[in-house]
Amino acid sequence: MSEKRLRIEGLSKSFTVGKKVIDALDNINLEIERGEFVTIVGKSGCGKSTLLKIISGLLPYESGKVAYDGHEIREPGPDRGMVFQEHRLLPWLKIRDNIGFNLFSLPKREREELVGSHMKKVGIDGFADAYPNQLSGGMAQRAAIARGLAGNPEILLLDEPFGALDALTRIQMQKEVLRIWQSEGTTMILVTHDIDEAIFLGQRIIVMSERPGKVLDIINAKNLAYKNRADADFARVKKKVYKYFFEEEMPDLEYTL
Amino acid sequence: MKSFRRVALGLTPPVAIVLLWWYVTYTGKVPPMILPSLPAVGNAFKNNVLSGQLLADLGISLTRVVKGYLVAASLGVVVGTLIGVSRRFDELLSPTLHAIRSIPMMAWLPLIILWCGIGEESKIVIIVISAFFPVMINTIGGITDTPQQYLEVARLGKMGAFRTFWKVYLPSAVPQIFVGLRLGLSISWIALVASELLAANSGIGFRISDSRIKIRPEGIFMGIIVIGIIGVILDKGLTTIAKRATRWNSGGKE
Repeated sequence: MSEKRLRIEGLSKSFTVGKKVIDALDNINLEIERGEFVTIVGKSGCGKSTLLKIISGLLPYESGKVAYDGHEIREPGPDRGMVFQEHRLLPWLKIRDNIGFNLFSLPKREREELVGSHMKKVGIDGFADAYPNQLSGGMAQRAAIARGLAGNPEILLLDEPFGALDALTRIQMQKEVLRIWQSEGTTMILVTHDIDEAIFLGQRIIVMSERPGKVLDIINAKNLAYKNRADADFARVKKKVYKYFFEEEMPDLEYTL
Repeated sequence: MKSFRRVALGLTPPVAIVLLWWYVTYTGKVPPMILPSLPAVGNAFKNNVLSGQLLADLGISLTRVVKGYLVAASLGVVVGTLIGVSRRFDELLSPTLHAIRSIPMMAWLPLIILWCGIGEESKIVIIVISAFFPVMINTIGGITDTPQQYLEVARLGKMGAFRTFWKVYLPSAVPQIFVGLRLGLSISWIALVASELLAANSGIGFRISDSRIKIRPEGIFMGIIVIGIIGVILDKGLTTIAKRATRWNSGGKE
């Protein structure tokens, strides 16, 4: 029996804006293994969020194939959870109800248990009865991650989840997500324009071109001691990714170090 | 201290008006036939309260408002919701409703009197026509302004249409629905008094026009002041309910 995996073959996507046709994605081919942490890095507007939305099932596509575990993805499903850049917590629901928002089909007790355990997991127990606008940005994003994980999805899609957070909170949240991934084994697909973040979190880093989005490179960072940002290997990978986006060379760190 | 200052500031204009009123009537600069003195208005108020006339008038008027407003508000919310969530309803009803909306209330009056006379039905019909549209328009706005982001979250959980309506569309629309309900309530009250002034034989509006015929300016002033106060009380009541219903909007603080 083969492992469950996400397969994307020849996926292209275009939008019609007014009378113009805008190509967002061009012939994307990807395979993501169960339990992998993959980051997708690209400039804003390169179609990386579009790709994530297609995987989530929120966005239809016309050409190519996207399948998980052999089943074609055409709509959202409980096997996939999603976290957005804005926390998107419903302001009229308490945090506990926000986290359990999509668990409506479960009996009350089971739902409460799931909500409770996920609040603990992301470190916001104690905020159950607060409303979203009483939470700081970091706390709200933790709640959003808890909501994404609450249904125990096999894949968690993260669309620039820390983009709106301050630099210190962002680093802390990256560590938290890494910790959750290590303990849960959920497949993580994270989209970002932050090269540092992409390298820090990803086992594989998918570099996307500007619109229409194409896969420029897939960098394997699984066996590097890259989790230390000050490490020379980290810098080497960073330099490699940098080259795709900027013409000018980065200062050669290997010599300056 | 802050709230004290706010109350004091808010009370300044009415106190100034009363002082000016007192000054021009006391010194006889304005004849009492045009502007009755404060004690005369006070007396009219006292007599009307003691005779039970004022309470009876208000009872009749408020009953009309409540009946008409309840019909207008529920119709407005239901029709507004249907138009807001369903494109088909929107295409079916919107052109007609917007055409009807552009007919001024005053143009309806002769027709309503012809059909319903000057009894209770005509008052209620007038209120319903006047208050329905602001409630409907704001309900449509509230429903259609529901952020797409929240709807996507509901779609991710494969939430059905009915639950999505109760959990996302409706709560998102509530603040704006209340804007419509408040507008509708004040318009109900205005429409009622207008209709009582024109064609009625009871109610607070009728009492004002009756005072004019009987050349009792103090009765006119008493009526106007009472109407103003009742209007403020009704609005405050609805605002309090709105605040309760949208507590999440104010940081959860009471």
